[in-house]
Amino acid sequence: MSSCLTVAAKEIRDHLRDTRSLGSAAMYTLMGPAVIMLVSQSAVARGGGSRLLLSMMSVYTLVSAFAGGMHLALDSTAGERERGSLVPLLLNPVSPLHLVTGKWIGVSAFALAGLALNLTAFTVVFEWGGVLPPGGLTRVFLLWILCGLVPLALFGAALHLLAATTSRTVKEALTRLSITMFVPMIVGMFLVFFPDWVGRWWFTMPVVGQQAMIGAGLRGEAVSVVQAGVLGLVTTAAGVAALLATARALDRDGIVAG
Amino acid sequence: MLEVRDLHMRFGKVTALAGVSFEAADGRVTGLLGENGAGKTTTLNILSGLHQPDRGDIRVDGHAASAPMDRRRSIGALLDQRGLYPRLTTRENVAYFGSLRGLTGFELERQVDRALALVGLETIGNRRTEGFSQGERMKVALARAIVHSPRNLVLDEPTNGLDIPSARSFKDSLREMRDRGVCIVFSSHILGDIAALCDNVVIISKGRTVARGEPTALCQQAGCATLEEAFIRLTTREEPLPCLPA
Repeated sequence: MSSCLTVAAKEIRDHLRDTRSLGSAAMYTLMGPAVIMLVSQSAVARGGGSRLLLSMMSVYTLVSAFAGGMHLALDSTAGERERGSLVPLLLNPVSPLHLVTGKWIGVSAFALAGLALNLTAFTVVFEWGGVLPPGGLTRVFLLWILCGLVPLALFGAALHLLAATTSRTVKEALTRLSITMFVPMIVGMFLVFFPDWVGRWWFTMPVVGQQAMIGAGLRGEAVSVVQAGVLGLVTTAAGVAALLATARALDRDGIVAG
Repeated sequence: MLEVRDLHMRFGKVTALAGVSFEAADGRVTGLLGENGAGKTTTLNILSGLHQPDRGDIRVDGHAASAPMDRRRSIGALLDQRGLYPRLTTRENVAYFGSLRGLTGFELERQVDRALALVGLETIGNRRTEGFSQGERMKVALARAIVHSPRNLVLDEPTNGLDIPSARSFKDSLREMRDRGVCIVFSSHILGDIAALCDNVVIISKGRTVARGEPTALCQQAGCATLEEAFIRLTTREEPLPCLPA
């Protein structure tokens, strides 16, 4: 376990010095609150479009759960391979699973920080702009978000690591990670405009479930704690599967040989 | 001490090793000499625990080390990939690897200081490695490989790309480690480096050991005046020398 924490501490320290990547992740994270703040002051919002604005929040929040750790996932896997530091790292007596878990802890820390920044900024914007959900930003609503979004951020970190580890170059990894960012955006947009398509079973699917859950909460509809719990469990299980697959990939000769 | 017996390895349809055997003693530098693609790097990758051979035995300090993790624990390695973390300082780069090898607290600090002193990097220990010269990067990579004071060290063409002063300083560091009793296996296709550093030479050709011994003994075996001529003659023979095991 100590080797996992050693890797995580190194990744966090290293990434905190990468100011350009941190700035880029912060922009992704704050993009949603900034857009909603501007639109909330427009004639559209004053004319009764606040419900649509609230729905848009879920899309940006889903993206922020993926954006915070993306650069670190890229740098600590495909970047490590491209600059030739992956092989020396693998020569240490540490199992691939411990290495991957350490990197995942680091990526998750930044993913959760991005998510927290996004939610804080949205709370400020909603209060300031007077665009509040029917039930207000209640404790239950925040609990639903945490049950769904924290596991989503952890799952996103694992998915990014898997996508970037199995890429041959940083450029290829960047393309794959962009796709993983695009999926929640497209799913979110679809559900904003077609909320009636949401069925009960959607709440068990990572990304779709989180979008549906936040959307329901923002419309003042009830979401059971059981649904949130099941979604959290399924998302966590998917994250663990992605981590194990990443560790297996790191153990292959092809990854080492490049 | 490292003992390698009859290593075989294939990558798909390509045979990388077809019978590599040698011994490397403590306090001596053993050079692996061979043409490009002869199997030197594959042999060192196996020794350092990066790959697992299809067949063959490896013993480290008298103990069987068939599992890659056993070899990673007991051998320090500097292979052809030597990338550093550019946003970390020299000291942080070395300390990271020390921590991964279980060193902590005062012991970690002491070992980092010792490794940096051995390669002559004390003065730039607190500088980030971004922008370091090739020689400085190589020394940091070496310090990282020896931070846990391994009794066995494996180096794959470590002087490639170094200018003359850096190569000289690097070789001085290796001699110092050898004099402290470290077993060093050193691969190169630069005969000058082999002649200057190595106490024993193992010649590998087409994935097999074709000759081994002290440089002067190899010249005598091949009936040549220089190591270069001996190398050419020995690597173009159809069969290994009779003194080698099958």
